[in-house]
Amino acid sequence: MRPRPDRLPPLARALLGAALHGAEREEVLNDMAEEFAGRAQRAGPLAARLWLWRQVANSLPSMVTRGWFRGTTGFESEAHRMKGGALALESWIMDARFALRSLRARPLYLALAVLTLGLGIGGTTAVYGIARAVLLNPLPYAASHELVAFWNTYDWSEAEMAYLRPEWPGFSGVAAYRPEDVFLRREGSPPRMVPGIAASAELFDMLGVRPRLGRGFEPGADAVGAEPTAVLSHALWQELGGDPGIVGTVVQLDGDPRKVTGVMPPGFWFPDPSVRVWLSQPMRPDNRSGNYALVGRQAPGATEGAMTDALRRLTTRLREQFTYPSQWDKTRNAQLTPLRDYLLGPVRPALLATLAGMGVILLIACANVAALMLGQLRGRASELALRVALGAGGRRLAQQLLVEAVLLGLFAGVVGAVAAKLGFALLVSALPLGALSHAVTADWTLFGSALLIALAAAILVATAPVLSLWRGDLRAALSHARSGGMDAHGGRLENALVVGEVSLALLLATGAAVLIRSVEKLHAVETGIRAEGVAVVDVSASGEVARAQRWPQVEALLQSLRPLPGVSHVAATQRLPLRGGGDNWGIAVEGKPELPSSTTAVRLVTREYFALLGIPLRSGRLFDETDRPGSEPAVVIDEVLARKYFPGEDPVGRRISYGLAEGWARIVGVVGGVAHEGLKEEPGPGRYLLIEQSGYVPPSLSLLLRVEGGDAAGILRQAQETIRASSSTIAVQEATTFERLVALAMGPTRRVMQLMTLIGALALVLGAVGVYGVVSHFVNRRRREWVIKMALGMRPRDALQQVVGRGVVLVGAGCVIGLVASVALTRFFASLLYGVSAADPLALAAASATLLVAGCLAALVPAVRASRANPAAVLREVE
Amino acid sequence: MRDDAPLGTFEEQVLLAVVRTGEEAFGMNVRREIEEVTGRSVAIGAVYATLDRLEAKRFVRSFRARPDGRERRMFALTRSGAAALAESRAMRERLWRGVNVLALLGHG
Repeated sequence: MRPRPDRLPPLARALLGAALHGAEREEVLNDMAEEFAGRAQRAGPLAARLWLWRQVANSLPSMVTRGWFRGTTGFESEAHRMKGGALALESWIMDARFALRSLRARPLYLALAVLTLGLGIGGTTAVYGIARAVLLNPLPYAASHELVAFWNTYDWSEAEMAYLRPEWPGFSGVAAYRPEDVFLRREGSPPRMVPGIAASAELFDMLGVRPRLGRGFEPGADAVGAEPTAVLSHALWQELGGDPGIVGTVVQLDGDPRKVTGVMPPGFWFPDPSVRVWLSQPMRPDNRSGNYALVGRQAPGATEGAMTDALRRLTTRLREQFTYPSQWDKTRNAQLTPLRDYLLGPVRPALLATLAGMGVILLIACANVAALMLGQLRGRASELALRVALGAGGRRLAQQLLVEAVLLGLFAGVVGAVAAKLGFALLVSALPLGALSHAVTADWTLFGSALLIALAAAILVATAPVLSLWRGDLRAALSHARSGGMDAHGGRLENALVVGEVSLALLLATGAAVLIRSVEKLHAVETGIRAEGVAVVDVSASGEVARAQRWPQVEALLQSLRPLPGVSHVAATQRLPLRGGGDNWGIAVEGKPELPSSTTAVRLVTREYFALLGIPLRSGRLFDETDRPGSEPAVVIDEVLARKYFPGEDPVGRRISYGLAEGWARIVGVVGGVAHEGLKEEPGPGRYLLIEQSGYVPPSLSLLLRVEGGDAAGILRQAQETIRASSSTIAVQEATTFERLVALAMGPTRRVMQLMTLIGALALVLGAVGVYGVVSHFVNRRRREWVIKMALGMRPRDALQQVVGRGVVLVGAGCVIGLVASVALTRFFASLLYGVSAADPLALAAASATLLVAGCLAALVPAVRASRANPAAVLREVE
Repeated sequence: MRDDAPLGTFEEQVLLAVVRTGEEAFGMNVRREIEEVTGRSVAIGAVYATLDRLEAKRFVRSFRARPDGRERRMFALTRSGAAALAESRAMRERLWRGVNVLALLGHG
């Protein structure tokens, strides 16, 4: 009977066939088919199949491991060897062992290649890991593409919410929320503020997220008079002991009892990952102070046109009920932003710019290693010639190059993974991620992506030498191997690599230069403040403290801070300059009823505030001891307000609305203007009230300490300890220096600038190394030619000129391409720039000049070496 | 036989099956022989892996031949393979000496 392996079920045949090799495959398949057929006859097809599959399942593991190790164990049988068709894997394993040996013989090349690639891989992996966690991971909400944020963020009132909520055309749900940090006091740890959100009852239903324990807010949880409830984040629940029985219990938050209704699942965050607790907030129809943001879910299938109609109806209803001053009219600029853009939009350009920068570094590193490999290939011409003579085909040589590149890639991948792990935390803190950095952690996928990136890089690296092999460069090199290296052409691929590398490096350098110029301009912005040596401690009073008790407490606190070493002034305010807008109150001027209604920044301060921050007095006086509770309300205005409301007049002695109580307050002095909101906004008008006189002490204050000698950071810990020791009802929220606040106010630009400068410098070094390598190879190839020419009368200077000229041509070509590319590409991070155009000529010129100088220097080294070569030695040299 | 490489149970079975099948000792036949005599189902992959191991220990040697018209990889016991079998059996019998399992099972 002729065996028929095709009688075996195809899947079983394929599986067994894949695990077996060469002659053995045929033998075993035939035997299995025979036995299978016999069994089918004897015991029926079902039993035969059962038997077959048990055989396959039990055989595969041992067959696969055996097949894998065969090539390397040397255990293979002679019989198996004699019948050709050995393992396909074997040649690869042999190549890998060969590549390992040959790499070990070239440790410098190995180290250079692995480090260069590893650096690129590590950087790219780390940034990719962060970008993936922040930008690509789905938001932790159901069908998050339906979620949108409303316009006029943090400008909606409870009255508007209460009026609109019975009917949301076009939406399946809308919730209002605002930040509301709560005071958490626990046994055995200092009181602190926990970031929280006060929200309307719709929040969790609208987001479509079910708590892990208990429930979210019940409908009506935000009714006036309803029991206050709280939903905890997983992290806060863990911190409180992780007891599932916490649901339904009452906790003390901010001195108020709140019933815990639920605990959210671990990955949930809203609106940013730092938030630990969500509180139900009564929506009072009569509360018109606006500080809520609205987030909604569009009705499924709502088209753009339908949403436009819906918004029009919504604004019409708003206009019917409320009146808005023209500059704050929210019925005119109705606009929805996808929630994803709203939450992640601010970090995207910075992340993408860094990711692109790192990717470019990786490309440069690949080009460098590819050029290195090409050079090695030429250096090994004799060896390769021998192997071709012995019968190695071009395909086999290409396979060897690929294996070498993949090995390099694997080593570099391991180096890169370690670098990525080490650099991850550093990068997370260096990137302007804000609260989103809480959602980013390094996990094992980092290692996987490092290896994947390394593999891609290795294949990229191998392309150049393999290409050169196929184009016949090698054959040419081989035929010249004994001719004294007098070939004029060759190395074109190497040149192309270097030109590409230089243009990429220039791209990064211009990116960095443009950002440096932006930061320069931001630094030049006049803040109106002397920031050096000012320590800032943000504190919050617990809700238990009666309002009347707050001022004595704050005053005692300030007095306790005064004796700290080096402290010359202490002061407090409710909102520091550069910390964004807010606390803008309406203003009226006595005797000028015709002024349109408008607002100015209002800052509640203590007496030493101006001296402490170095805000100069322009006319009149500052607050003094005569300004007390009960005396005539005094107000200090800044020069921007003076110019706007009292053009050409002396405002001192005039009266404006007080704001805290009915009636007028007298202007006692005019001080310098200050950047109330931020560095990028024009300083707006502002006025100052004395906390002590006003009788109003906001629950959250920023305490300021001026340290003589300037070391503000050094005193922060002492200040925090002093505060903790002197009060148990006041929690420290944040302790920092004013200089750090200024840096923060520069926004992502400064941090991206620092990263980009680093990346640009790296690109410069890598680019210079590339130029150096290629020019050295060029020199090596031409050495004999020059030596002979010099013997015939060419001056060494001419050789020098030729070599440097070569380098300059390469770098110049790269610069031109890079300039064009950077003009085209830098505008993508225009949102990070301030006061500079993406094609800033100064930045472009500086970047190209740096690169040209670095390139020339890199070319000079081999050139000098070439011009000093001893002709006799070179001619005697055997390659 | 070397002290550090005693025969495993399955190795011993395979080696014995090679002897029993004699001139027709190839993978599938060895498998069938073990199955028929022991009554246990044996995977072909395990047989081949064991035969390879035994060849590496030089207890069997393999060669190509055509026992029934088809070229196959055939196995034959070597001298050291025979010694290993003998040693294995002797060791086992030494161990069995004085052991009455039936008594322990309550039959004797």
